[in-house]
Amino acid sequence: MRLLTSAERRYLVKRLEDQHGVENAFDDLVLIQTGQGRIRATTKEAYDVACRLKRVQQVGLYVAKMVKGDVILSIEGSQLLGAAITKNVIELSEEEAEEWMKAAPIERSEKIEARYVVARCGDFYLGSGRVSRDGRIYPQVAKWRRIPEE
Amino acid sequence: MSPPAHDLVRIMSKIILSDDLRSYLDGLPDVELDLLLEAYERPLPEAFRVNTLKTYEEKILERLRSRGYSIEPIPWARHGYVASGGGDLGKSLEHMLGLIYIQGPVSMAPVEALDPRPGEVILDLCAAPGSKSTQIAQLLRGEGVIVANDISFDRVKALSSNLQRFGVLNCVITLADGRKYPRFAKEFFDRVLVDAPCSSLGIISKNWGIARAWSIGIVKRLSELQKRLILAAFDCLKPGGILVYSTCTLTVEENELVVNWLLESREDARVSEIRLRGLRHRPGITEYSGVRMKDEISKTIRIMPYDNWAEGFYIARIMKEVR
Repeated sequence: MRLLTSAERRYLVKRLEDQHGVENAFDDLVLIQTGQGRIRATTKEAYDVACRLKRVQQVGLYVAKMVKGDVILSIEGSQLLGAAITKNVIELSEEEAEEWMKAAPIERSEKIEARYVVARCGDFYLGSGRVSRDGRIYPQVAKWRRIPEE
Repeated sequence: MSPPAHDLVRIMSKIILSDDLRSYLDGLPDVELDLLLEAYERPLPEAFRVNTLKTYEEKILERLRSRGYSIEPIPWARHGYVASGGGDLGKSLEHMLGLIYIQGPVSMAPVEALDPRPGEVILDLCAAPGSKSTQIAQLLRGEGVIVANDISFDRVKALSSNLQRFGVLNCVITLADGRKYPRFAKEFFDRVLVDAPCSSLGIISKNWGIARAWSIGIVKRLSELQKRLILAAFDCLKPGGILVYSTCTLTVEENELVVNWLLESREDARVSEIRLRGLRHRPGITEYSGVRMKDEISKTIRIMPYDNWAEGFYIARIMKEVR
C-alpha cells in the first residue's frame, strides 16, 4: 500500500482534465497506488484505520488504471466523478448498456478522436471503453462484472 | 404457465432428513417439525437492497416496476425489498452496476440489530462474501469506517468484489484469523458483527446438501470455534460498544450456549433487547439438555424458517458496559 506521490497525483488529475474535462478529480480522497498501474481511492479516516491494523489486504475502491499515459476509469471511478465528466462521454441506450456490461463492442457512426471514452446510460456511469481504429468501442469491464451471456 | 423443469423436480421431491438430524430437531423446544420441513421445501423469496450510496431508492424501484417486477418493502430492513415476477435480478444491469444488492430478507436483520451510525468504526469479523459489510457501509452513509475481515483468501476475493461493486470508499479489508484479532485491535471498534460460520440449518431450502452433511460432531466443533470468535469480537469492542452475534442455524450449541459462554467469561457483557419491526421471532432458549443459562439469553432472538417463510436465524445483541 503506497500513497501516490504529489507528482503522480498531479499527473493523474491533469490527465483526467485533458481526457474527460474533470477538474480537481478525487481532491477530497486519499489515493493509493497498487500493482499494474491501478489506483484506489479511500477516505482519510479509512486510510488511518488501515495504517493502525495488521494483515490489510485492500483499502477503498479501485477507481482507475494508468496505461501508457491514459487514464482508464473503473465503473466506480466513473460513478464517483459522475457529472464532472464533460469530455469524451458517449450516451448509451438501455439495450446498449446491457451489451456494454457483457463487454460487447459498441458501434458509433460518428468518428471519435479520443483513445478512451466514458459511457453513460441516463444518470448511470459505466466506466471507460477503448476506441479502436475501426471505430468500435471496447468496454473495459472486468470479467467478474460482466452480465453472463444466455 | 408451467414451472421450469428444475422447479418441477423441487415441487415433486420431498426433503429427507437423516435420523440424527430429525431427532435433534425434535428435541429442540418450540420447533414444529412439519412446518420446518415445509419451509425447507419452499424456495426463498428473492430480496434485495437498493444501494443508496450510488443512487436514489425511488428511481431504482420505478425502473424495476417498469420491467414487470412486483416489489414489497421489508419492514425490518431499511432499503430492503422483496421482488417477484420480472426476470433474474442476478443478471440485471442494476445488479451488475451495483445499484442493488441481492440478499435474503432475514439475512438483513443482524445489521439492523447492530444499527451502525455514521462516523463509527465497525468490524465485520467473518465478513465474506460481504452482504452484511455492504449493508453496514450503506448505513454508515460514507462517514466512519467498515473493516471487513475474513480468514480465507478465496473468500476475501468475493468480499473485495462485492465491496467494489457496492462502491464502498471507506472500507478496509483484512485477511486474518478472527480469533487473533484482539492482538492488534483490542478495544478499537464502536460496533462489531460476528456472523459466525455455522451448520446453516436455517438456509437448507437454498441447498438440501446442508441437511445431508449435518452431524452433531460438526456442530460441536463449530461451537468451540464460535466461542472463541465471540470472545475475540467482544475484546475488540470499546467500552460502551455493541456486539451482534448471529448465525443462520437453529442449534442451541451454536447459538444460546455460545452467548451464555460469553456472559460467563466477561463480566461487562450485557444482552440487550432487539427491536425489528414486523419480523416474527421467538425468544432465545434458556434451558436446554439440563443446562440452565442466564435469564438474559431470553432477550436474544430465534427466527425459524417458517416464521417469515424465509431464512432461519439467531441474533444476539450484546453491550459492553462502561466501567
